[in-house]
Amino acid sequence: MAILVDKNSKVIVQGITGGVGRFHTERMLRYGTKIVAGTSPGKGGEKVFGLPVYDSVEECVKNHQADTSVIFLPAQFVLEACVEAIYAGIKLVVVIPEHIPIFDMMQIRKEALKHNALVIGGNTAGIITPGEANLGIMPDIAFSPGRIGTVSRSGSLTYYVADTLTRTGYGETTCIGLGGDPVLGTTFDEILWLFEKDERTKAVVLVGEIGGVYEEKAKETINKMKKPVIAMVGGLFAPPGKRMGHAGAIVEGEMGTAQSKLKALEEGGAHIARTFLDIPEILKKLGI
Amino acid sequence: MRLYEFEAKKLFSKAGIPIPQGELVKSPEDAKAFAEKLGKPVVLKAQILSGGRGKAGGIKFVQNPSEAERKVSELLSLKIKGFPVEMVLAEEKVELDKELYLGGTIDRVNYKLVIIACTEGGMEIEDVAKKSPEKVKKLNLDIDEKLYNFQAQGLAKWLGVKGDQIRNVGSIISTLFKVFKSYDAKLVEINPLVLTKEGKYIACDARMSVDDDALFRHKELSEMGIEKRHEEGEMTEREKKAREWGIPYLDLDGNIGMFPGGAGFGIMGNDFIHYFGGKPANFMDSGGGPTPERLAKMLILLDENPQVKAIFGARFGGISRCDDFAKGVVIFLKEHGLSKPMVLRMTGNMWKEGLEIFEQAKKENQEIFRNIEIHGIETPIEEIAKRVVELAKNN
Repeated sequence: MAILVDKNSKVIVQGITGGVGRFHTERMLRYGTKIVAGTSPGKGGEKVFGLPVYDSVEECVKNHQADTSVIFLPAQFVLEACVEAIYAGIKLVVVIPEHIPIFDMMQIRKEALKHNALVIGGNTAGIITPGEANLGIMPDIAFSPGRIGTVSRSGSLTYYVADTLTRTGYGETTCIGLGGDPVLGTTFDEILWLFEKDERTKAVVLVGEIGGVYEEKAKETINKMKKPVIAMVGGLFAPPGKRMGHAGAIVEGEMGTAQSKLKALEEGGAHIARTFLDIPEILKKLGI
Repeated sequence: MRLYEFEAKKLFSKAGIPIPQGELVKSPEDAKAFAEKLGKPVVLKAQILSGGRGKAGGIKFVQNPSEAERKVSELLSLKIKGFPVEMVLAEEKVELDKELYLGGTIDRVNYKLVIIACTEGGMEIEDVAKKSPEKVKKLNLDIDEKLYNFQAQGLAKWLGVKGDQIRNVGSIISTLFKVFKSYDAKLVEINPLVLTKEGKYIACDARMSVDDDALFRHKELSEMGIEKRHEEGEMTEREKKAREWGIPYLDLDGNIGMFPGGAGFGIMGNDFIHYFGGKPANFMDSGGGPTPERLAKMLILLDENPQVKAIFGARFGGISRCDDFAKGVVIFLKEHGLSKPMVLRMTGNMWKEGLEIFEQAKKENQEIFRNIEIHGIETPIEEIAKRVVELAKNN
C-alpha cells in the first residue's frame, strides 16, 4: 500500500520529446516506473526510449489505460495540458514546471475538483513511492521503501527528510512535493488525509516553509488525525519582509511567518522537529 | 509585480474608471507648467513602489505654480523606504464629500477571487477590518464566475450609495473587477474612491500588482513600459551585482557564506546555521537547473565578501544535477580560486558523475582543492552545518 502512485500506476509524460522531459523519463523508467506513453502534439507516431508518442492524452488513455500524468512543459502550456489530461480521465497530474500563472492554477484546481482528479504542483519535485514508482525529478538515492509518509512544498527539503529516514532505517511509504508556487493544485490537508487512511504509513512528516497559507490550513486536519504528524518549518531566522527564493516564500502579514506556521501546527497537535535528525528521535519516542 | 500609482490609474482610466486630471512630472519645471495649465490647487504624489508614502512626506498639497515647482524639487530629492523618488504624479486637488474603499484580491486558502468594499476609505484596510469588521464586505467568486451588475450594484448600495449613483458606483466595481481579471492582477485597489463636492465618484488613489508569471500574455503592459522591475528598495553593492548576474541574493549580517541548493533548503539551512551557533552572511537561491557558469558566479559573490569566514555548500541534485554543480565549483576553483574554507555536501541526481568531475580536476591540480572538504550522502547535513560554524569561528 502507498498513496497516489504505486507499481501499477500507468503513467504518461506530457512533453516527453523535450530535453528535460526526455532526461527525466529515462530516469523514471530506470527506477521501474510504469510509463506507458508520452504526448507531444504534432509528434504522434514517434518513439522515445521505446515508448509510443501520441498527439493527445485521450489516445494514451484509450490505448494504454493511462491514469497518471507527469507534465514537463513550459509554464504557459500547463493550463491546457492539465485540463486536457483531466478531461481525458487522468486522475493524478503532477506539474513539474514552475511559474504557472495564478489564475491558471485556480482554473486547474476547479477542473480537477469537478472531475475528481488531483493535481500536484506546480513547481513540484514530484511524488515517489520508493521501490515502486518515481514521478518527477526526485533523486532515487535519498529514498527507500518503509513506514513514514512525507509531504513538503520544497523538493530539496523532501530529499533531506527522506535521506534521514532512509539512513535511520525508517524508510518512506510515499513522499510528496506539493510545489513552491504561490497557488498550488493540492495542499497539505488533502495529502494528510490520504496518509491517515494508508495502512502502511505509521507517521507523517510535514515540512513547511515561510510564505503562503497552506501550513496554517493543515492545523484542523492534523487535529482530527489519529496518526502522529511530525512538523518542521523553515524560515524562523528569515529576515522579515525580505523575499527568499520561491515566489511563494514571501513573508506576508502574520499568516506567512514561520512562527505563525509553527504555532498552528503545534496547536493542531504536531510534534515539532528543528533539524532533520530530530525526526528519527521523535519517532523513537513515539514508539515507531 | 507592483505597479506605480500612475500606471494603475492609466489602466483604470482606460477601462472607464474616472480618475482626477493629472500628469506625471519628472522635473520642477514640468510641475510648474502643469499647475499653470490647470489653474487650480494641486496635489503632488511621489511615485514609489512602496506603501506608507503619506507618512513619509511623499504627498504635498500646493496652491500655486511656484509652490508646485518648489515642492516637486523637494520630493525629487527624497528617499522613501530606500526608493529614491524619480517621478511625481501632479493632479488636481479634489474637494471631497465622502471616501470609500474598493479592492480585489486572491484568497489562496479557498481558491477564490475576492471583491472587498469598505465604507471607510483613505485608511489602511487591514486596520479597519480589524477594528470594525462590520464596515467591510467581501464577495467571493470562483475563477470562472462572472460578477453580475446586480451584485456590483448591491455592493454599492451596501456602501451607502444612493439613487442614480448606485449604477455609477456599481459600474466602477464591475470595471475594477474586469481590470483585475483581464491583467492577471494579484491586487487592485481604489483607496479612496471619493465622492466629490460636485457629486461625482472618482478614484483618487490606485494600487495594482500583477502576477509576474502571467506577464508573457500581457504584451499591452510591456508596450506601456510596465515590465519586470526591481521592488526591493535599497540594495547593497553585492546584491546589485547578484541581480545583474540573475542570482536571487540577500546580504545578511553573519560570517558564513551560504551556497545551498534550492530555495527550500536555502531557507532551512539558514535556520540550521543559527541552531548550531553561527550566523549566515547571506541568503542565496540557485533556482532550478542553474548552469555551471552561474554556480561559479555564486561562489565568486561569497569568496569576495570580506565578511565571509567559511562557506557552506549543499547540493541535493534534483532538477539541478550534481554534474553541473561540480562543473560550476571546478570552474570557480580554476578561474577564480577559493580563499576561505568551504565544506560541501553533494548527493542526488548524477552524484557519481559529479564526484568524477572533482576527481579529474584534482588529478590536474590538487592545489586548488586545498580549502575544500567534500562530503556525500553518508554525512548528515547537520554535521556539515556544525563543521562550517566551527571553521568560521577558527578562521
